[in-house]
Amino acid sequence: MAAKRKMSRWEIILQAAIFTVGFFYAVTYYVKVSEPIDLQMVADNSLAYLTAMILTAFAIGIINLTRIHWRNIKLRRADWKFSLVLIGSLYGMAIFSIIASPFALDPRGFIIPSWLIDVISPVWNFLYYNVLVSINTSIFSLLAFFIASAAYRAFKIRTMESTILLIAGLLVIIGEAPISDLIWPGFSAIQNWIMLVPNTAGQRGILIGAALSIVAFSVRRMIRYS
Amino acid sequence: MFEFIPGRIGQAVLLVFVLLAVFVGSRIALRRRIKARPIHGIDRLEEWIKEAGKLDRCVFFTPGTGGVGSTDTLAALALLRYVARLCVRHNVKLIVANADLNVQQVTEEIVKSAYAKARKLGKYSVDSVRYISGSVFAYAAGVMGLLRRERPALNFFVGLFSAESLAIAEAGRSEALYQFAGTSSIDQLPFFLATCDVTLLAGELYAAQSYLTKDQQDISWTVGQDAGKVIALLLILIGTILVSLGNDIILNFLKF
Repeated sequence: MAAKRKMSRWEIILQAAIFTVGFFYAVTYYVKVSEPIDLQMVADNSLAYLTAMILTAFAIGIINLTRIHWRNIKLRRADWKFSLVLIGSLYGMAIFSIIASPFALDPRGFIIPSWLIDVISPVWNFLYYNVLVSINTSIFSLLAFFIASAAYRAFKIRTMESTILLIAGLLVIIGEAPISDLIWPGFSAIQNWIMLVPNTAGQRGILIGAALSIVAFSVRRMIRYS
Repeated sequence: MFEFIPGRIGQAVLLVFVLLAVFVGSRIALRRRIKARPIHGIDRLEEWIKEAGKLDRCVFFTPGTGGVGSTDTLAALALLRYVARLCVRHNVKLIVANADLNVQQVTEEIVKSAYAKARKLGKYSVDSVRYISGSVFAYAAGVMGLLRRERPALNFFVGLFSAESLAIAEAGRSEALYQFAGTSSIDQLPFFLATCDVTLLAGELYAAQSYLTKDQQDISWTVGQDAGKVIALLLILIGTILVSLGNDIILNFLKF
């Protein structure tokens, strides 16, 4: 058994803060207090401040990316050219977005010259809609191939569980196929049963367990420093 | 002015009962020194990290794409503390890839403090903890590239995941000797089960910290959760019987 460590003064203060905030939000979920202070409003406003604080952390991400990839370029490490592309894309897209995008700082051209906005706008549109969206879609479409290879590996293992998984998987695939009713109408009924009964039961079991664990984990965080 | 919000009174009463059951269950477990059941594969972590060290290959860890407010992320951070300590002890390079800026700061601090506690702060490298991207597919692409370039021997995918889970787990599978996953995202669990050697399912992930630290108080709290699960199961059973008999008392109580 691990030796019990005494909490430092700083840890006690931190733990008290965690408990107070956690308890406050739990109370405002169940109880409405409108006088003398509207607690719900306080809770909503604090969340808005929290969002603002989280956004300020954005700079830290940019600094981290720049530090790591700038070092890669400086030391000419393996694949440093990718780092160069990343730094270029990061700052290039940021500058283009500030000048001409739906989130532009000066869309009416008070400070930034209008001709520059007119020049950058189609470039930004091209980079966003024709490059970024296409790359995202490509990565998403890769999932189809990954599903096939993962399924192949799961089915290859010769255990009772993988055999059941294989049979259930095949029945669901056949049941979902448009041709299944022409082969045998029972396939759709079997597929429906697998999805609605064993699948839902398993998922709900995990969900109930997870929900209770989250409650217990959160309360443990509130009352005990770790 | 003080009033209960209608529709949440039943939930509040149920929460108090469940917490009471968890508390009583944990006190009994603490007094009787009840042990948690072994979590499959978790005992082999040190052995795997040592093996990675022998092969002179690194260990990769991702706390998922969730924020610091997510319980999955908090559980992942607790596991990272343990993994970082082992990596420092066995001189194995650890790479952490983040998708959330706040998680980035916390993971940086955890890894750095693991080096500091072992008096090896000089060995800590800036590129040990990296921010990849907040966008799911950009993060997936970044991690896939990282896994291909660094060829880690052991991969950890622990935390909250969405569509990127299968892409990164499959990319890691081709090079890694072992893969370890843990999440409560039901949609991603099948992918991890198919691609990883060990997968912690929801509750197991939250219990992992107490299991690893062997802290009796933590273990008893974990055991106490089972008392809450018994109440939930009893309510489901009684509710099913009552609804089948045409009585909606439990449904109405939960909506009260």
